Order: sequence, then C-alpha cells, then structure tokens
Amino acid sequence: MSDSTRFALATGLALLALLAVPWIVRNDYYLHLFIVSLIFVVVALGLNLIVGYVGQLSLAHAAFFALGAYVSALLFLKLKWSMWIGLPAAALLTGIAAFALGWVILRVRGHRFVIITVAFSEIMKLVATNWVDLTRGFMGLPGLQIPALSLPGLGAIDVSSKERFYYVVLAAAALSFYLCYRIVRSSVGRAFVLVRENEVLAESLGISAFRYCMIAFVVGAALAGAAGALYGHYVGFVSPDLFNFSYITIMLIMVILGGKGTLIGPVLGAVLFTFLPELLRDAAHYRMLIFAVILVLATLFMPRGIIFPLVEHLVPRRWRTRHVRAA
Amino acid sequence: MSALLEAREVSVRFGGLTALRDVNLAASAGEVLSVIGPNGAGKTTLFNAITGRIRPTQGAILFKGRPIHREPAFRIAQMGVVRTFQKTEVFGPLPLAEGVLAGALARGDTDPEARAREALETVGLQGKAHLRADQLSYGDQRLLEIAQALAAMPQVLLLDEPASGMNHQESAHIVRLIGELRTQGFAIVLVEHNMHVVMTISDRVMVLNYGETIAQGHPAEVRADPRVIEAYLGVQKTDAVAG
Repeated sequence: MSDSTRFALATGLALLALLAVPWIVRNDYYLHLFIVSLIFVVVALGLNLIVGYVGQLSLAHAAFFALGAYVSALLFLKLKWSMWIGLPAAALLTGIAAFALGWVILRVRGHRFVIITVAFSEIMKLVATNWVDLTRGFMGLPGLQIPALSLPGLGAIDVSSKERFYYVVLAAAALSFYLCYRIVRSSVGRAFVLVRENEVLAESLGISAFRYCMIAFVVGAALAGAAGALYGHYVGFVSPDLFNFSYITIMLIMVILGGKGTLIGPVLGAVLFTFLPELLRDAAHYRMLIFAVILVLATLFMPRGIIFPLVEHLVPRRWRTRHVRAA
Repeated sequence: MSALLEAREVSVRFGGLTALRDVNLAASAGEVLSVIGPNGAGKTTLFNAITGRIRPTQGAILFKGRPIHREPAFRIAQMGVVRTFQKTEVFGPLPLAEGVLAGALARGDTDPEARAREALETVGLQGKAHLRADQLSYGDQRLLEIAQALAAMPQVLLLDEPASGMNHQESAHIVRLIGELRTQGFAIVLVEHNMHVVMTISDRVMVLNYGETIAQGHPAEVRADPRVIEAYLGVQKTDAVAG
C-alpha cells in the first residue's frame, strides 16, 4: 500500500470518527471545546507552515487571527455582510496584510524577524484599541451571529446550534488540512523544507527563500484570518483581547509540542492543548501550575512534539509515511 | 572560444578592507580554471561575488555576456552558475535523494527525481540515496555537494576546496570526477589548496594574493613564476611538487 493510500485511509477513518462527535458527545460544554479546538486546528495548521515548514518564528499569527475576526465582524455589523462572505473576505484581507508585512520583514532573519512580528502585533492591538469610532475600543464588537447557510438545492440551513456549527468548523478544519497536505506534498512544500534546513544552500541551488517564505506566510495568515472570523461569530464578540500575547503563546505550544513540520502534530496539539487546561479545572488554583509542569515535561522529554512518540509506539513501521520514517 | 563566465575589473571592499582589487577572470566550457592563493587572498570572496552572495563594489560579472552581478543568488543559480562551499553545506537531516532534488526543483525540471538520481550516480552515491545527509562521511558529503550542484543543471560549476580534508584515494576520485565533468562540457572554476589536484587537473591557474591577481596562465608557467613562489608556493614546496 502506498504512502498516499495509507494517508488517505487514516484520514478517512479519522474523519468518520470526527463526524460522529455530536452524536456521541451530548454535553454542550465538551461540544464547545471540540468546536474551539477545531478552530485552533485551522490556526495551528497555518502557523505550522511558517514555523514548522519554512522555519521562521512568527509572533504575528495571533494578530492575523484577531484581524480576521475584526474584518468579518465589521463587515457583518457595518455593512450587513453575511459571515459566509465575511469569512473568505477575512482570509483574503489577512493574506493581503501578511503579504504587505512579509514584503518588508521576510528580508530579515532571526531575532530581527521575531521582534518585528511582535511590533506588528502590538501596533495592530493599539489600532484596535484606539480607533474607537470603528472598533469601539476596549468595549469590543458584540452582536455577531451565525447566519443560515444557503446551499443550492437545499435552501437555507440553520447552523447556529452547537451541533450544527460543529460541522461548519469541522469542514473548515478538513479543508485547511487538505490545503496544507496539497502544499506540503507539492514541489512548493519540498522547497519549504529545503529552505528550512539550509537557506544559504537552497538559494545557491536556485531556490528563492523569500518567495517560499512569502507563500507560507500568506497562506498561514489567511488560514488564521479565516479561523478568526469563525471564532468571532461563534463567540459573538470580538475585542482587543484577541491580540494578547497569551494567544500566540498557546498557538506556538500547539504547533511545537504537537510536532512542528508534520501535518498531524499541530492538529493533535490544537485538540490536546485546548482540552487540557479545561480538563484541569478540577484542580482549581493549581490548574495553571499543573499545566505549566506538563508543558515543561513535554518540552524536556518530547522535544520534537507528541506526534513522534505516538507514532513510534502506536503505528507499525510499515504504516508510517516516508516523512515520519525519515524524521 | 568565448567565455561562459567573465569577471571584469571586479573589486570588493568591506569598509576599509579591500578583499578583491580589479580581478579579471574568464572561464569557458570544457575548461578547468583553478584559483589558488594563501588563506585570506580573496578566493572565496570571489566565489561569493560571482554567485550573488555579495555585490562587487565595482566591476562587472557576466554570464554568456549578460551582467549578473546585480542579480540575487538564487537567480544566478537558475541561470546556470552554481557553487559548492568551503565549509560543507548539505541538507542535514534529509535523505540524500530529497536534498539533491533542490536544484532540479528550482530549474522546474519535469522529472526532478530522475535528475537527482542521475546526479547521485555521477558522483557515485546512488547506493546511499536513502541515508541522511548528516550521516555521511566527510568525503561523501563533499561528493554530495557536487551532486547537489549538478542536479541544478549548471553550465558553470564553482567548486570551493572540494578535496580539502580528503585522503589520497578520495582526492584521486575527485580529480577523476572533475575530469569527467570537464569532458561533459562544464566550465569549472576550482578553488583548491591541494597542489597535486590543482596541477593535475587545471587547464589554467590564477593566483590571488591580498585580493589581487599576481599570476595567471598554464599550470607549469604559474608554478615557475617567482611572484607565486614567494607569495604562496614557497621554495621548499615548489621543490616538493616538482619532485
């Protein structure tokens, strides 16, 4: 059986299990966690292209997530555009913003790149906070809704309930996964990895590091923007808090501890690190302390992410894709 | 025969330091031009200037008569001027077959895998295609660098000390390989400290000292040049090479 067939089979089985979640999980709170974790799957897949595949530590990803949320919210509230138009518009505008930012910052590397992405995030937060006429500042933008989805031949479908919105975010996560899969397995994805492993050498052999970093940066940001739009409409409210540093921290944890540079790792990371802090709620005041200890231990003992020990122990060698075998 | 690669009056300055001064170079298809000189003479700086890693302060570099000295490194490689490095550069944890694909992908080859296989066969590493690049011996990594460059389908190949750190047998293999590449029509510019390799394989030799060309010509003429003996070879070493 070829790698592609194995991969398709495993993905199909996982998708079937995910389709059954609203029937199995009858608790609203846990269904909420599934929805949020799937939104963060989209975010983590996008960040993984930048951090995991071309190897650039971007701290602007939470800003792109928030920007997408604001774009869709403003289009909904000011222009009465449906979320179904606002969502692609958010992805498009966030991608354009990433292209403009990338045009400047993808020419530098290392700490300079990281610092400028932090500065961008802070500037975006200041704009969201101080452009009160547009964003209402700290008061944020309430009143966002999930409109009915009109499909040809099926009419308008109400997807505002948790059970139905779950399928919307599942479709978004599946589409994002498929997009990333196609990119990673194409010549573009191969060039990503070559740039990550040795940028000077890749350039000397004819690969434009700027071009491929730009592709990863724009696609990754567009996914974050789309996820931000979904998140804003799901929780019904966006505010400058979305730009907080805690968001980029948790996004990086999802990608790095999930297993950066793999497709499955960030997906597992997004689900695990959405559920874990919530499952620790019984520990009351010690919750974040326990979470921190788990992060430290995971970093020490699984430096390449949870995906590698999982594959090592659970997946027979002949079932592993050549990428995981090589890693 | 018109030169594929030319450097005309190329100077490179880093602040107050002149690394290259008015250097001229011409390399034609099917020719091996060696650039020698003591450490710090400007040999690697010359490679960096030709391949777009640094911009010449003045002068021009031409490939097939077209100026390339303002082009970025990746575009110069796509045109057909490809280099290897003094310090071995490979795609560390990737299998050889993946790393060698880089050049073929960059050139938009319709069958990059076949191009990569061919390049590995040329240097004799086809049996190790599945290994990680960083698991190879030093000598094999030097060969891998040449395979990486060949997969990029170059017309001009700049080899920066390909035989450094190699034993006699490995050096002989490199000499044979360079000879084969010359017969295939590549223009080869070689930076090398191993005088046996240089004198065996070169059609012409150019000597740099403190960033300036002090001699250029047939290997036997260069070896006998008093300025070269004083600056680089030394009387004792000349005798040894001659012997």
